[in-house]
Amino acid sequence: MRYVQHRNQDLRTADVQLLTGLRRAATFAALRIPLYSESFSMRLLFSALVFCLLSVAGAQAQDLQRILQTHASEISDPSRSSVGVALDDMIAAGLPQTADFLEQWSDKNVWQRTDGVFFIAREQGDDLALRDVDTGAASSAPQAEFTQLKPNGGVRRVIGTALVQFQLSDPDLERRTTAVASIARRPEAEQLQPLLASISKETDPALRARKIQLANFLSASFAEAPQDRITAIESLSEDTSVEARAVLNQILRVEQGVVEAAPEGNIARILDPSESPDAAYAQLVSASLAPAPTTPAMIRAALENNIIGGRVGDVPVAELDTDIGRARAYGALVLAGLMPPLVTSESRDEMLSRYTFYERYLETDAAITDAAEEALASVEARVGWAQTIDLALDGLSLASIYFLAAIGLAITFGVMGVINMAHGEFIMMGAYTGYVVQQFIPDYTLSLVVALPLAFAITFVAGVLMERLVIRHLYHRPLETLLATFGISIALQQLAKNIFGTQARPLTSPAWLDGALVYSDVIQISYIRIAIFVLALIFLALILFVFKRTRLGLEVRAVTQNPGMAASMGINPDRINMLTFGFGSGIAGIAGVAIGLYAKVTSEMGADYIVQSFMTVVVGGVGNVWGTLAGASLIGFLQKGIEWLNPSNTLAAQTYMILFIILFIQFRPKGIVALKGRAAAD
Amino acid sequence: MTLKLSSLTLAALLGSTTLAAAECADPVKVGVLHSLSGTMAISETTLKDTMLMLVEKQNAAGGVLGCQIEAVVVDPASDWPLFAEKARELLTVSDVDVIFGNWTSVSRKSVLPVIEELNGLLFYPVQYEGEESSRNVFYTGAAPNQQAIPAVDYFLEELGVEKFALLGTDYVYPRTTNNILEQYLQDKGIAKEDIFVNYTPFGHSDWATIVGDVVALGADGKQVGVVSTINGDANIGFYKELAAADISADDIPVVAFSVGEEELSGLDTSNLVGHLAAWNYFMSADTPANAEFIAEWKAFAGEDRVTNDPMEAHYIGFNMWINAVEAAGTTDVDAVRTAMYGQEFPNLTGGTAVMLPNHHLAKPVLIGEITADGQFDIVSQTSEVPGDAWTDFLPASAVLTSDWKDLGCGMYNTETKTCVQLTSNY
Repeated sequence: MRYVQHRNQDLRTADVQLLTGLRRAATFAALRIPLYSESFSMRLLFSALVFCLLSVAGAQAQDLQRILQTHASEISDPSRSSVGVALDDMIAAGLPQTADFLEQWSDKNVWQRTDGVFFIAREQGDDLALRDVDTGAASSAPQAEFTQLKPNGGVRRVIGTALVQFQLSDPDLERRTTAVASIARRPEAEQLQPLLASISKETDPALRARKIQLANFLSASFAEAPQDRITAIESLSEDTSVEARAVLNQILRVEQGVVEAAPEGNIARILDPSESPDAAYAQLVSASLAPAPTTPAMIRAALENNIIGGRVGDVPVAELDTDIGRARAYGALVLAGLMPPLVTSESRDEMLSRYTFYERYLETDAAITDAAEEALASVEARVGWAQTIDLALDGLSLASIYFLAAIGLAITFGVMGVINMAHGEFIMMGAYTGYVVQQFIPDYTLSLVVALPLAFAITFVAGVLMERLVIRHLYHRPLETLLATFGISIALQQLAKNIFGTQARPLTSPAWLDGALVYSDVIQISYIRIAIFVLALIFLALILFVFKRTRLGLEVRAVTQNPGMAASMGINPDRINMLTFGFGSGIAGIAGVAIGLYAKVTSEMGADYIVQSFMTVVVGGVGNVWGTLAGASLIGFLQKGIEWLNPSNTLAAQTYMILFIILFIQFRPKGIVALKGRAAAD
Repeated sequence: MTLKLSSLTLAALLGSTTLAAAECADPVKVGVLHSLSGTMAISETTLKDTMLMLVEKQNAAGGVLGCQIEAVVVDPASDWPLFAEKARELLTVSDVDVIFGNWTSVSRKSVLPVIEELNGLLFYPVQYEGEESSRNVFYTGAAPNQQAIPAVDYFLEELGVEKFALLGTDYVYPRTTNNILEQYLQDKGIAKEDIFVNYTPFGHSDWATIVGDVVALGADGKQVGVVSTINGDANIGFYKELAAADISADDIPVVAFSVGEEELSGLDTSNLVGHLAAWNYFMSADTPANAEFIAEWKAFAGEDRVTNDPMEAHYIGFNMWINAVEAAGTTDVDAVRTAMYGQEFPNLTGGTAVMLPNHHLAKPVLIGEITADGQFDIVSQTSEVPGDAWTDFLPASAVLTSDWKDLGCGMYNTETKTCVQLTSNY
């Protein structure tokens, strides 16, 4: 699990109390005998014992290799289930070089020579720089005599757990962090004590807070005194992380059971067998409390085996082709005592009513399970809220992406009434501009700073060119414009394929945009989506400014409302159309850079966004920036909502959304924000 | 005197070359049916280059049956109906003797009616979902029992996974494979509530919600693992989102069935170290045959190109086809087919591939972990496992078997002892 930053890094008073209580309990449990005694003989015996142990340890200082050889097959070809034996032996020997060996083994730095001896080694060209596992003596040898040991993920996890006791108090911060992460992945009862012991000596405040959080988890599951466990559980009721919920759910694990009288133990709930009688009856059968249900095949086999003289019982074989005939024959066999009685649904229900079906907690202490249930209920409520917020954030991010992609189209469609099917290709052009700039400028941040205005310029020019050469001649002929722009879009796609190839090209975001803003395990959003949202806001502001406060914007709005009147007021509609088309395409270019950063850059990426852009423009209404904003928000949130309702099929979300839009258009054909006025009648 | 001798030898030489050329009245043509554009181009373009390299190498060694081989390359552009049209064009207009092609199962299903009608021959190099054994297709890729089932076994035994997220692209291969895996997991004791299934369209790029759902699966304390049958460039967005959400392979391991060295070559894999893939070959396999193949490939295509499992499948398939044609003495489809059964050819991981009567190969199962340089560390390798066209884990298929050599049927019901049908299900 990720190392989650707590909002409140300071130790809470309750944590301090919990810690001191736990530490007291742990130390009391550990130290059962007094180390110092007043008696002289005891001291003599003690020092003799220490001396013996030291000499034995000295004699065994060379023996890690010997232990490795004993378990050679488990170490050279380990499996998660078998490696524990070798690890136990290594740790029991208590040798100082064990910790280092285990770390090197986990990092795939242990090599085995053809004669079976293990070494720690690093590659140096065709040779290996070797280090003896016991003495650390350096040497060198060709790689051909050695095979590298590569333990798989499961084995590495077991090694990590074994290393925890060595690494918790290691002076290196990274080792301590790795140890803490290992505990988080595989919590075990034996780790509680060493973890508590290492907290007081921990110098890094963030790691200390993490250790306390983990100590809480371990105490909730493994502490000895029930009151300590309950205190820990109660402190978990505010933690919405996946780990905390995992701990609570593990405490609340149940097993199913069936008994004739009242059930014993810590009962979670009594089940009603009538909800799924077949499953409940199967449970009875597997517990050998009831006969197995009779299948038609069994009846047929029984009848076949009991044919005497062309009859079964007193029923001739010829009448056995109906269910009633077969039931009668079977009944005759039952009366004769040859077969057990038929299990009908009535007899099954009668059987079920005799028994009680229950779920019992594996944890026997009812106080603990009650506390855990309460904590879990409070946590799930918080998680529900957090999920709503996360879904809203995702929806907002998707809406901003759709807004960016569609605003250029809304402007050209709104002003000129031109359906530009090549709009997606302008997005693609912007993305490829970003890729090309990154080829020349290796610094990612600088390349983005250069790419954004360059993408605007290039797609502006492309838009103006397209308007001048193609669209100008097709005014007032929307179908021809549609067809012509569709053809241009295909041509542009093929051009991109010829220049850049068919593989997806990487557009890498700078390092400060990597990763995500993490509030908790449930609420997180990647930085790049936040950047796109900010970009969308900037564009919203920019477009509003241009349209409301500049001369150009005034002229554009005039031409949108009534080109004829605007022309007679001295505005050149042709020039305005050209500039508007260029402006809309330029915005698409910048949107392309943003989209390329978060998705992929291929020659077909435009096709992914053209449909969404048209949907946004149709739903939102043309000619108005607020309309596009409303449309993008509606579509973005709706898509996320449908995805949440149907998490197993993402394609379904798009299907339902198109259905919704078709219905929406029936009721509001002009979209959410419609233009008013005589000229807007078409 | 010497002038006469030299002119005589010259005439003899010329005569022999024209004699050799005259033998080849019927040029041998090999069709290459791989997407060179569209969402699958990321995976299939390299297979087209592999076929060109193999044909060039074979021509340098003298071609086949004394003829040079001509490769006919078409681009079906990740458009499934276009695959069928291009296959028909290859067989009727270009008159090819064999087709090497396809990647997605939907493209193969589109091509099947055409090649079964025109009696063409297709070598299909990619791992797939089984449930098929066409007379006209040789499957050099893995069946589910050679890839999906062993990978899930590895998850259960080695990584201790208790809860499974099956993420796939929405078409026949992931849907069928996930059906098989769901049944297999339930037989192994995993509860139905512990299996989360999700399908996304081709080219999907918005993975944040799905990755969040996968992380939330771990809320009950069980170890979660992801089995990914995502195909094409949707994988780019998926792995980018995994890296952004900081999901390390030690927390939630992901095993992919359609991601190899080629798909990873365009990604920064430093955040993906430890995640897994299951194939029958990895570029990092340490054998002399593999070293030689990689050297030839880099000399042909460029220093920074990589090799992957479907390339090895084409290598085995092409060489087997050449040997079968030489053994049959003709490129006629039925004769070559008969000569293919029992064909053996060394694979690139140190073993031998054998073509079985059900049109599948015996292949070893390898599981590899991604390293920081886009290669795979092999953590598990089995000996050759014979491919099973009809899976034993779905009750409807468990009774079926395929044996074109002795039974002459690809869909033979062993209970009723009848051949269900001779054509495939499209």
